[in-house]
Amino acid sequence: MALVNPNFAEEMERFGADAALECFNCGTCAAICPLIYEHFPRKMIRYLQLGAKDRIMENASELWRCLHCGLCTQTCPREADPGEIILGLKRFAVANWRRS
Amino acid sequence: MTDKKTDKETIPAKGKVGVYICYCGGNISDHVEVEKVRESMEKIPGVEVARTDMFMCSDPGQEMIMQDLKSGTVDRVVVASCAPSLHETTFRSAISRAGANPYIYEHANIREQVSWVHHGDQATDKAIRLVAAATAKAEGLKPLEPIRMEARQHVTVIGGGIAGLRTAKDLADCGVAVALIEKSPFLGGQIAQLERLAPTGDPAADIVTELAGEVLGDPGITVHTCSLVETFNGYVGNFTLGVKKRPPDTDCEKLSSLNPSGRTPGEFIPFKGFYPESVAARAEELSIETGVVVLATGFKSYTPRRGEYGYAEFPEVITLPELIRIMAENKTTDNCLEINGRQVRSMAMIHCVGSRQIPGIHPEDESGNFNEYCSRTCCSATLDTAGTIRQSYPGTRIFELYRDIRTYGRGQEELYEQAAKNKVVFLRFEADESPEVIRSNDHDDFPLRVKVKDVLTFGEEVEVPVDLVVLATGMEPNNVSELVDMMKLPVGPDRFLLEVHPKLRPVELPVGGILLAGTCQAPMDVGEACSAAAAAAVKAAVLLGRGYVELDPFVAEVDLEKCRGTGACVEACLNEGALNLVEMEVDGEMVQRAQVTSALCWGCGACVAVCSENAIDINGWTLKQYEAMVDIIVADEATA
Repeated sequence: MALVNPNFAEEMERFGADAALECFNCGTCAAICPLIYEHFPRKMIRYLQLGAKDRIMENASELWRCLHCGLCTQTCPREADPGEIILGLKRFAVANWRRS
Repeated sequence: MTDKKTDKETIPAKGKVGVYICYCGGNISDHVEVEKVRESMEKIPGVEVARTDMFMCSDPGQEMIMQDLKSGTVDRVVVASCAPSLHETTFRSAISRAGANPYIYEHANIREQVSWVHHGDQATDKAIRLVAAATAKAEGLKPLEPIRMEARQHVTVIGGGIAGLRTAKDLADCGVAVALIEKSPFLGGQIAQLERLAPTGDPAADIVTELAGEVLGDPGITVHTCSLVETFNGYVGNFTLGVKKRPPDTDCEKLSSLNPSGRTPGEFIPFKGFYPESVAARAEELSIETGVVVLATGFKSYTPRRGEYGYAEFPEVITLPELIRIMAENKTTDNCLEINGRQVRSMAMIHCVGSRQIPGIHPEDESGNFNEYCSRTCCSATLDTAGTIRQSYPGTRIFELYRDIRTYGRGQEELYEQAAKNKVVFLRFEADESPEVIRSNDHDDFPLRVKVKDVLTFGEEVEVPVDLVVLATGMEPNNVSELVDMMKLPVGPDRFLLEVHPKLRPVELPVGGILLAGTCQAPMDVGEACSAAAAAAVKAAVLLGRGYVELDPFVAEVDLEKCRGTGACVEACLNEGALNLVEMEVDGEMVQRAQVTSALCWGCGACVAVCSENAIDINGWTLKQYEAMVDIIVADEATA
């Protein structure tokens, strides 16, 4: 069970991910991503939307798979800037690593 | 009554029959040997010509029939094709265009009743018997005229919601007198229960006040509030409605409590409606003579069952209409929305409550009904409310739990886009895995949690902590079972009133002179209800516009030479008033004889069955015609 944190998405703005709630979960980013890895980055963005911090920290190492090629940001129909969200999540993971 | 008598001399009693058999592009001819049917018909005495065509309903097919009529080759027509519900009117109209009487026509259904259900020789045999029977009947058909009745230039609209008001005003603008009957003391219906209308944001009060004001200011419209239709008689153009006005029992006190500052009739009372007049002090009965009745009886909002998503179990679970009212009556400038004295930091809105129910998954109501339909307005209403809250109370987070988002109308998809901009978070659930609303454990800061298997998180179970749960309840038709019984109205499986044809005749009922407007027919938004209301107004104006209405002439006719005035037919008659015994002079003696009121006769034939003298018959379906049909069906040579 993932517990939703209603304020998390706002907290994340501090880490540079401010468009995550624009995402409507279409999956274009996951389809275009050259990693072809388990719904990456869509699933991570979804965890951010819900504020499922535990899930993000459990899977944080996945964030470093990202090549920052920019294809997801180019193709996102909602201009949610997935590449920037992944960067923001990396910063969040680093900031919280010891604490978790 | 102007029951026009026909000049029966212009056409011989025994006719020259033309038989026209259709291939229906293979629909019929793949299973019925159409040419063999034609050959058989040619052998029947009385049949002048028998012809075939690939599509008899096509222009060349109709032209062929018209040519034979114009040249005098035939004076009775039989078409053997699809069901009469499809093309009977087509061929009657072709006959009229050829200058003949449209009632010298008989239809044989050899598609639905033959080629679609039988195959091989049996199909051809049955087709031959059916077409032969039709020719036998056609031979004895006489020209008839539609019954022409004077129509009262008056319409009664039942229901004072937006659809009823729109219909009344549009008809009054056409110069037709209107009576508007509303059961409550208020006008405006369900819209009065709203604050603003999505997607435009128009204040509901303004819309109701404007239209109700126009209606009350129109001298052509008489408004009866606190009124119910109790009796219903008559036929299109000449209905009589018995209406009972009652002083509202509980509402009276509420009304006076609403009026402490001397509020006068003629203003909008929020969440009540437009208050048009001081209410009746005592019961009163009126009789309204009218030509057309428009039903605008509307909907009611679905009330969730106890325990449905925690409704009535947890005080923090309310419906969307309840939320709208609470918000309108407690406007604050706080950062957080406050509901019933509690700050709402986080709230869930659950879509499709009481709509799109699936037997086996959702609970049925006490009468075993499911609301299987989409209520169509709740998605937009929910998104609009979410947007309003996010903009006015940025401290309140919103989670919308949906099955599908259906923002189908103009300007409504934008509400969905706007919701994302306003940082509303969406969670999606499958129909058979509805969210569960549970109490939080004691140490939790939020009183409730909504537990859902979220499709957008790949089916993971997610729990949303919330202060408030809002249920987006759908529409149910108002209970109009008394009107349904009285007026014999068709009701669909969804319990809404059912039109004749969803595409081509969307506001008409099979009962002549009764029309539909608004949400008594199906869930609609305000714009759609007004469109339907305007359509009903036009249809009513069309019915009354010529000053008379025409009814099918398939009604009983008394042969006064045979009638002995026994009264058996009057007793057997199923529709009171259609048959009466009247005094008349025969051979210098005053005697009693049966008399038909054509407009009331249903053409059922109950009178024909009981007359010992064979003195009464149904036009277009006489006993002689039946006998001729039976004779030829049982004869051997018909199928030879």
